[in-house]
Amino acid sequence: MSGEQAGAAVEVLAQPEFGDEPGTVRELLLGTWRGRFGLAVVALFAFMALFGKAIAPYPPDASSLDVLAPPSIHHLLGTTESGADVLSQVLVGARVSIVVGLAAAAISAVLGSTVGLVGGYFGGWTDRGLDALENWFLVIPTLPLMIVLARLLNPSLTVLIAVIGLTSWAGTGRIVRAQVLTLRERAFVERARALGAGDGYIIRKHILPNTLPLIFANTVLIVAVAILSEAALSFLGLGDPTRISWGTMLENAFESGAPSAQAWWYVIPPGLCITVLVLAISILGYLFEEHVNPRLREHG
Amino acid sequence: MSGRWLAGKVAAALLTFAFVLVFNFFLFRVMGDPTTQLARLPQATPEELQQLRHNYGLDKPLMGQFVDYVGDTGRLDLGLSQRSRQPVWSEIKDALPWTLLLVGTGTLLATVIGSWLGVVAATRRGKRTDDGLLGFSLFTYAAPEYWIGIILILVFAVWIPIFPSGLQVTPGVQFSGFFSNAWDVAKHLVLPATAMTLMLLGQYFLIMRSSMVDVLTEDFITVKRATGLPWERVVRRHAVPNALLPLVTLSAIQFGAVVGGAITIETIFSWPGLGELSFQAINDKDFPVLEGTFLVFSAGVILANLLADCLYFYLDPRVQSR
Amino acid sequence: MRLKRVWTVTGLLVATVALGVGVASAGGASGSKQGDSILKIGWAQNPSTINPYVGQDEEAFSIWAINWDLLVNFSPKDLSPTPGIAESWDISDDKKTVTFHLDPNAKWSDGQPITSEDVKYSLEVLGSKGALFTSYTDNITSIETPNADTVVIHTKRPDARIVGGLFIYILPKHVWGKVPVGDLTGSYKPELPLVGSGPFIVTDFEPNRITKMEKNPNFRGPEPKFDEIQFIRYGNQDAAERALQVGEVDMVPEVSAAGFARLGDQPNIETLRASSPAYTQMAFNSCSTKICPDAQYNPAIQDLAVRQATAYAVDRERINQIAARDTSFEAHGMLPSFYKSFYEVPADDYPYDPEKAKQILDDAGWQDNGDSPRTKGGQELKFNLYVRSESPYDIQAAKLVAEQAKAVGIEYDVQVVSTDKLYDLTVRKVNGKPAPDYDTFIWGWGGDPYDPSFLLSVLTTGEIGGSSDSYYSNPTYDRLFKQQAGSFDTAQRKGIIQRMVALTQHDLPYLVITYDPNLEAYRTDRVANVEPTCPEDSTGDAICDQTSYEPLLTIAPGSSSGESGGGGSGIAIAVVAVVVVGVGAFFVIRARRRRDSEPLELDE
Repeated sequence: MSGEQAGAAVEVLAQPEFGDEPGTVRELLLGTWRGRFGLAVVALFAFMALFGKAIAPYPPDASSLDVLAPPSIHHLLGTTESGADVLSQVLVGARVSIVVGLAAAAISAVLGSTVGLVGGYFGGWTDRGLDALENWFLVIPTLPLMIVLARLLNPSLTVLIAVIGLTSWAGTGRIVRAQVLTLRERAFVERARALGAGDGYIIRKHILPNTLPLIFANTVLIVAVAILSEAALSFLGLGDPTRISWGTMLENAFESGAPSAQAWWYVIPPGLCITVLVLAISILGYLFEEHVNPRLREHG
Repeated sequence: MSGRWLAGKVAAALLTFAFVLVFNFFLFRVMGDPTTQLARLPQATPEELQQLRHNYGLDKPLMGQFVDYVGDTGRLDLGLSQRSRQPVWSEIKDALPWTLLLVGTGTLLATVIGSWLGVVAATRRGKRTDDGLLGFSLFTYAAPEYWIGIILILVFAVWIPIFPSGLQVTPGVQFSGFFSNAWDVAKHLVLPATAMTLMLLGQYFLIMRSSMVDVLTEDFITVKRATGLPWERVVRRHAVPNALLPLVTLSAIQFGAVVGGAITIETIFSWPGLGELSFQAINDKDFPVLEGTFLVFSAGVILANLLADCLYFYLDPRVQSR
Repeated sequence: MRLKRVWTVTGLLVATVALGVGVASAGGASGSKQGDSILKIGWAQNPSTINPYVGQDEEAFSIWAINWDLLVNFSPKDLSPTPGIAESWDISDDKKTVTFHLDPNAKWSDGQPITSEDVKYSLEVLGSKGALFTSYTDNITSIETPNADTVVIHTKRPDARIVGGLFIYILPKHVWGKVPVGDLTGSYKPELPLVGSGPFIVTDFEPNRITKMEKNPNFRGPEPKFDEIQFIRYGNQDAAERALQVGEVDMVPEVSAAGFARLGDQPNIETLRASSPAYTQMAFNSCSTKICPDAQYNPAIQDLAVRQATAYAVDRERINQIAARDTSFEAHGMLPSFYKSFYEVPADDYPYDPEKAKQILDDAGWQDNGDSPRTKGGQELKFNLYVRSESPYDIQAAKLVAEQAKAVGIEYDVQVVSTDKLYDLTVRKVNGKPAPDYDTFIWGWGGDPYDPSFLLSVLTTGEIGGSSDSYYSNPTYDRLFKQQAGSFDTAQRKGIIQRMVALTQHDLPYLVITYDPNLEAYRTDRVANVEPTCPEDSTGDAICDQTSYEPLLTIAPGSSSGESGGGGSGIAIAVVAVVVVGVGAFFVIRARRRRDSEPLELDE
């Protein structure tokens, strides 16, 4: 899955047939099985990101002579190629994945909404230019673009965040722009303008508040995409070499011959964590999207 | 006017590609000074560096350099690989067919199987089959494709060693003919193509399912059922064809993801395509090759989008009559 | 919506894929003659180029060492000098002139005679322009070729490297001499077959796929038992090891530490842990303020007591066991045990002894602060320890060093950086003067077979600004280095080299941690007559990779050689068939249904 795909699935998962039309956010999260699942998983991983280091049974990179050992009472998920505890690495790795996911999504949200707001509100050549830029970012294959940027900049956590954030904002921009275009013509905006309000004031007081929920829902989806991107870049050796993340775990597992050693305990946990977390965040994202996107709501 | 519509699409694609060229040019020339990348010369004198800059035309004004660059790219002169010192284009040319093969097979299987499963699920909506398929496809949709690839190797190449897990063909074998050769390639294709298919399957399934659900509730289907046609016939002949259209759009949207998948999947299976070539270039910091593969990937995706647009145009009478 | 069109389009897509298979497989089809015995060697990477003027990979050496001879080759028994292009040689009394005699009947693989001109060309041109071959000829004043079979080399000083350490391949001048040097050091693509003098010559080379070598019809020695050698690139180590396991390849010359034990347990696979002329060391910034006025480091690192305490605190064998999974060799000084003729365990060996380490630090006045680093005056025993992100072994070793040193009160802060970054830190210059910016780092060196001069040279003052990365400078060491280089007598040379090792063991610019191995594996059912060589003992190597082609002449096809692997292909075929038939049936059914269907209506 990647940024391009996220949009397509939104429409599917946001179909009302998945559950009754929820009223409030609270009902949305707790009233459906999807909401409860998403919330529970995200809470679990958030806990890991915060306290993973503290609850890890071993220091995540403490080596031992027990290399690639299968799960045992001492190492519940076995050991890595250097004898480190897989469970501890999985617990600690949550932080990098989630930090990168959140930070990159934040950059993407700021960039995307700024471009969308400015383009949609002012229109004209500004809009055309920005729209072309958005189009370009939507068409260009994201992973190769991220690879090129990450390789030129030398790997570190900051570079990862920047690269992912800078390449995944276009979808947000597109959605925000569409929303702003409809808002701009609404009566209350017209009224404010007639009363002599400036552009800055209208954007701040009328456009932005009405766009924020949409930005938020979309950003939640971007978090999932960013987590996947971090994992893919790390797997390709473009991650931060000094930190353990699920992506670097998979890279190490692959590089050290875990497939040939049939070390399933080393391969499955990090990948499963990525999958489940991405799934849960996506589901939450779709729920929010469904809740705030008027077009999808009309559908039901 | 349909001609105009088409011309607009082509122009947009060309514009996007032109933008890729500009981007590529500035990225690799401005962000990374090629002289520092082209040769690691710790003891190089300023004169030698000057000479090097001259050889690569870096002392010309930027605009002149850009014109040179566009001209070279047009002639498929993408520079020399730093690693092998051979033209980048010749490396790309060798790798391209293998990527097309993998990507083509994966996309084809994902479309066929995904949409078929989508129909199955939609007609059994709410039943256990539907739930199972939905869960499965959501899972493959969220799972990193290289992770699935590693698991496939672990299971089908190591634990139960029934498929080859590296390269595209058994090395050093003299094949008796085209078919035995193609057969060998097909065997090597199984695992990487499966990984590619699983990566794309979920999307096709989800789209087809929801599209079918929509169509099945439409009036003309109800009318058809009322005329006494068997349910299966209604689905096959009337519902499915009408639900297929969104798949075309999806396949275009998917191309970006396909390219990303090609990089990781080819890397895992040592599949000698463009993705593996770019992975190699990442490791070697071979910027000319990285630049070349990025260019080809972008061109491929732009072209695929254009084709999907044309296809849509060709298939959907509503667009034509616009 | 027109159903027919959908299927037309799908059909087109299928055709495209089929065409892809056709094109792709046609491109990949290039087998060998039926009935030939082929030695298939799997490795992670092919050489990036086989042009010796620009090639830099280890893998390229593996190929060159089979394709070409040196003027004087290495004996696989003990790595001593043995006839190469030169059949015999005489050393003058002042040891400054060596006269080489060539075999008058020797021919290149293309039938041209091998002459003294080829030698002169190679030493002069490859020896001055080839990326990896320039350091060997700096002592040579002139090369004379009185006739086609004689080469006379004059040197400034006596130089033992002229016999047995002149690591420059002899290329055919009639092929390479006609290409301008600018092209040779640029994008020149060598013509195939690669004209050579060794037992096999390169006949096919695809950088990202395969290197094929076939028998040289004019080879002077005994005929090899294999007809062809193929080096197959797998992109990563694990894939090559899996290929060995299923029998797709016969030999893997570089096995990962992880794969070593696993492959050793397999039936039909034999593993070898060979010694090599390489080591991994922890380097300490030893640059004096005179040489490096602007160097950046914690001056405490130049306190000998601190370095010695570190040496006692570090358990090298434990690093070998954990980081290298016991596949490496614990180091004893800066001369790898690979150099059998010169090696000996030095007196100052720093066995693991943390108590002694603490004692040394206490005696030197470094105050114990419990968990915090020791201090003295304003100084603190807290150092950076750089390590390359590309090397998991080095990272692991660095972590272990840090862990063990912390126990005696020295803190090493491990910093993982890219190779480029570490390189830049070590060669940093300010105002034209060296200004290295590190306290310590872990990296490694690899030397030449037989001749240890290169490895010894990295600690000489003369290499500051060149290979020296510790910036160690000791006039006695420099003097001894020159002496050993001029000594043609092995016993005498060993004595001098031992004094050099003793000096560096005392001063500790490097703490050499492990001597790196060469891990190999081969299938006993495919390759027979393997005897460990280079050197001929328990730490020998199966094919004397990169050093001598002689073992390739004796190894022979095994009992089941030539069977192509990929076990269980029957099931694979069945599964492919099911998929193909399934997809095919899908289309056939679709097509049939379409035929008898009434015209479709549109929903608009």
